[in-house]
Amino acid sequence: MSFPSKEDRIRCWSHRDEYWKCLDDGKTEVECKKFREQYEKFCPALWVKHFDRKREYLKFKEQLEQGGYVPEEQNAT
Amino acid sequence: MTLFSRSLSSLKYSNQAFKTAITFRYLQNFEQRNPQVRTINIFTSLHKSSEVQSLPDKEKTQKKGSILKKSFITWKSVLVTGVGCTALLMYMYYLQERKEKETERERRRQLGKAAIGGKFELVDCNGKTWKSEDFFGQWVLIYFGFTHCPDICPDELEKLTQIVNTLETQYNTKVQPIFISVDPDRDTPEIVGKYVKEFSDKILGLTGNKEQVAKVCKAYRVYYSNGPKDQDSDYIVDHTIIIYLVDPDGMFVDYYGLTHNAEQVVNSVNINKYKYDNLKKDNWIPSVSLKSPLPT
Repeated sequence: MSFPSKEDRIRCWSHRDEYWKCLDDGKTEVECKKFREQYEKFCPALWVKHFDRKREYLKFKEQLEQGGYVPEEQNAT
Repeated sequence: MTLFSRSLSSLKYSNQAFKTAITFRYLQNFEQRNPQVRTINIFTSLHKSSEVQSLPDKEKTQKKGSILKKSFITWKSVLVTGVGCTALLMYMYYLQERKEKETERERRRQLGKAAIGGKFELVDCNGKTWKSEDFFGQWVLIYFGFTHCPDICPDELEKLTQIVNTLETQYNTKVQPIFISVDPDRDTPEIVGKYVKEFSDKILGLTGNKEQVAKVCKAYRVYYSNGPKDQDSDYIVDHTIIIYLVDPDGMFVDYYGLTHNAEQVVNSVNINKYKYDNLKKDNWIPSVSLKSPLPT
């Protein structure tokens, strides 16, 4: 089982970044569905999981850095 | 109750009395002390003036004359003292430097005992076995990772390539970059070789069987653990993200994490190399040893 090559990686990352940009533009996940499909097509399934978690973490980190601790009820909404 | 309040009021009174007593005493003390201080001051100034005045006129002039005549501050003496002081300062500076070097040597000796780094035996893509001793005589940067790594390993390997290239082109320092796989199940020597080639031809990709990888990871205190497998039996290896710097003696010198950028690592390698080269240089000025030599 070989690893994803350099081209594979770059392709995967660029599709991930497109999907993330779509979300960053304030669109919903439904609106970004076609980017998501491409992203899932070009990245190994496990990487998708990994990047999704990473994005969540990065968002959380950003939130912490900007506004400090956010209480849970605000997080839930 | 009344008893209590009475005792309380008496306490108050006594407290007040105590305070006044203190103030009084302090004032008294101050008055006592104050003239004393003043007398000392007066005494010193009076003493000086009286000394000069008390001296007979003849003696006074004689004293003044002797000071002027026998003044030993001449251009020659200034020069001699200056040269002497400079020599002394330089010698002190030299001694201090030597002492620093010795301390540094001692520190290195003790660092050698620190439990990071050690012997290993791994295989490259050509089936050649590499032992840790094979890297003696050259600076080495080691990074641990795995080829199925989603983002961090490729980033770190790019960084490693950049570091090695900068050191070589700008500082004329050759460093051997090594990639060691922490995923012996999937990363065969051929795969690792192919993987590192994507980044740089200079990187030496090493792997081994489970025991060999476990040994080198234990030596460098690298944590690695396979994550859960998904439907494609793919998994991510969670591992320590550190680049290690090893000197030509095969000793661990420094380590760099994710937060260090290439420039910082390049600077650190340069500093460490400078220190190392300095220590290896022999002293060219013979000097008197003030301290007993350190045990070697």
